[in-house]
Amino acid sequence: MSETVLQVKNLVKTYPNGTQALKGVSFEVKKGEFLVIIGLSGSGKSTLLRCINRLHDPTSGEVLFNGQDIAKATKASEIREVRTKIAMIFQHFNLIPRHTVISNVLMGRLGFMGTMKAIFGLFSAKDRNDAMGYLNLVGISEKAKMRADNLSGGQQQRVAIARALTQNPELLLADEPVASLDPATCHTVMDYLRKVNQELGITVIANLHFLSLVRQYATRVIALKGGEVVFEGDPKMINDEWFQKIYGQGAKEVHIN
Amino acid sequence: MKSYLFKRSIFDSVLFAYLSCVALVVILDPTEQSMLMLGRNALIFGLLLVVGVFVSYLLNKKGLKTLGELTFEPPHRKAVAKDETWYKTVWGWELLIFLGVTVVVGIVMTKVSILKLVDVDHFYPAMDLFKAIVQPNWELLPRAVLLMIETIFLAFLATALAIPIAFVLCFFAAKNIMTHPAAFAVYVTLRTILNITRSTEAFIWAIIFTVWVGIGPFAGMLALFIHSIASLTKQYSEIVEVVDEGPIEGIQATGATKVQTIWFAIVPQVILPFISFTVYRWDINIRMATIVGFVGGGGIGYLLSIYANQAMWHEVGTIIVVIAFVVWAMDTASAYLREALK
Repeated sequence: MSETVLQVKNLVKTYPNGTQALKGVSFEVKKGEFLVIIGLSGSGKSTLLRCINRLHDPTSGEVLFNGQDIAKATKASEIREVRTKIAMIFQHFNLIPRHTVISNVLMGRLGFMGTMKAIFGLFSAKDRNDAMGYLNLVGISEKAKMRADNLSGGQQQRVAIARALTQNPELLLADEPVASLDPATCHTVMDYLRKVNQELGITVIANLHFLSLVRQYATRVIALKGGEVVFEGDPKMINDEWFQKIYGQGAKEVHIN
Repeated sequence: MKSYLFKRSIFDSVLFAYLSCVALVVILDPTEQSMLMLGRNALIFGLLLVVGVFVSYLLNKKGLKTLGELTFEPPHRKAVAKDETWYKTVWGWELLIFLGVTVVVGIVMTKVSILKLVDVDHFYPAMDLFKAIVQPNWELLPRAVLLMIETIFLAFLATALAIPIAFVLCFFAAKNIMTHPAAFAVYVTLRTILNITRSTEAFIWAIIFTVWVGIGPFAGMLALFIHSIASLTKQYSEIVEVVDEGPIEGIQATGATKVQTIWFAIVPQVILPFISFTVYRWDINIRMATIVGFVGGGGIGYLLSIYANQAMWHEVGTIIVVIAFVVWAMDTASAYLREALK
């Protein structure tokens, strides 16, 4: 029985315009898990991830990260410290297009250094070494000197993974990491995420659309519908009946191989 | 939802009060003295505004769409809009009457007169003046060129000194950065100061500075400097407000500070448009330097004012040629630069 990394209790998020994105979501994540969250667009998946690393402020509820309630953190420095331990990758990669690949990867160290030091680009030799190491891990170290916007989508997402890894995170959040990639590239990126999960022991929480990917990569699944958890368990347990419950009557599964 | 009704009411009532006032003036034909009674007239306008709100409310309640409703209605109502020909609608006539009335009022206000335009007695003297201008006195050319060079440097220095200040201020004047309630107060205050600074014409600043530092290019430079800070800050901040949010999230998620986020996620996105706007500002400043020179701000404008005041039109012609050449050259150069920076 491994220890719990993250415990979300009764999390509620209401946007200023009145939309209730999350209506009391609770779940637990154990260390080393590859947890996948599924659900329709607008079911609250992205909001949930952003509440965990405080890109969004939860309305109520608890987010216990290693036992500490980070939903209650109000000071900017506390929130920043939490973010250094919880890395994130995004659907649209969110790299800095005009910077080089290696410079983008080094930005994973921003949370650990002074503002002025960062602005003058004074990253330590160890940081640079680590950054190259992680680029190697995701297999694109030869692109280090290229501008990030010259890379293909799949390569950009791998750079984003390397940036996340330079943070030395305990937890990696992945918001639709393959939703804007072609099917072949999907698997490359997912394979690297699994590598990160299994070889580096980093806990992963990912939002995904395709059930076939979920069955292949997830160790556990949570399904959200209308801001509530409607399913929790083994990915192989999601049969047609559950599928219809989660995605609505008449929905058909699309396979990607 | 509420703000849409508010905007619609304001829009419709201003339109109603404006048209009613025009009608009142036409019907009552008031004397100039009674037109100058600002307090009373403002009260009448205010009452008409209140009436306008009711008229707008009643019309829309009856299903007759007003111009304000058409402009500000929320998307879900726009989606079910009926397809009607414009002359069968209230808003169509509102728009037509508004445009027609405004053109007529404009003509009356500016005392447009075809008779004066075709008056031969005054046409020929004006032509003589024009002829003198197109026959420049080339003896003045060296002096005009020298002062033009002074003007270019004056405009350059004003722009260059304004850049770092505007670069820092623009982030405080950008809505998407100043999200915190306390920061929003700073944003509003800064915007207000900038708007006041910008709407004070550069030549007013020039007059203020000629009193402070004396007549000459220094006063002109300071005037353009102040004006450039306000204009550049506004333009810079508008670029900052439309940046892609993705990289900002990406950097924030690493635990970066606010300043780091601005530097790494926003600055790379805005730097080229910033340069492009700055080149354009220099271009504008060269043209504005002429006006500023008229009131003692030095440079070619000062020379122009001396000759224009003495009705020495051949000399004025020379100066215009020099200004026109530089404006053309700057315009072309800045167009190429901005094209290259896209």
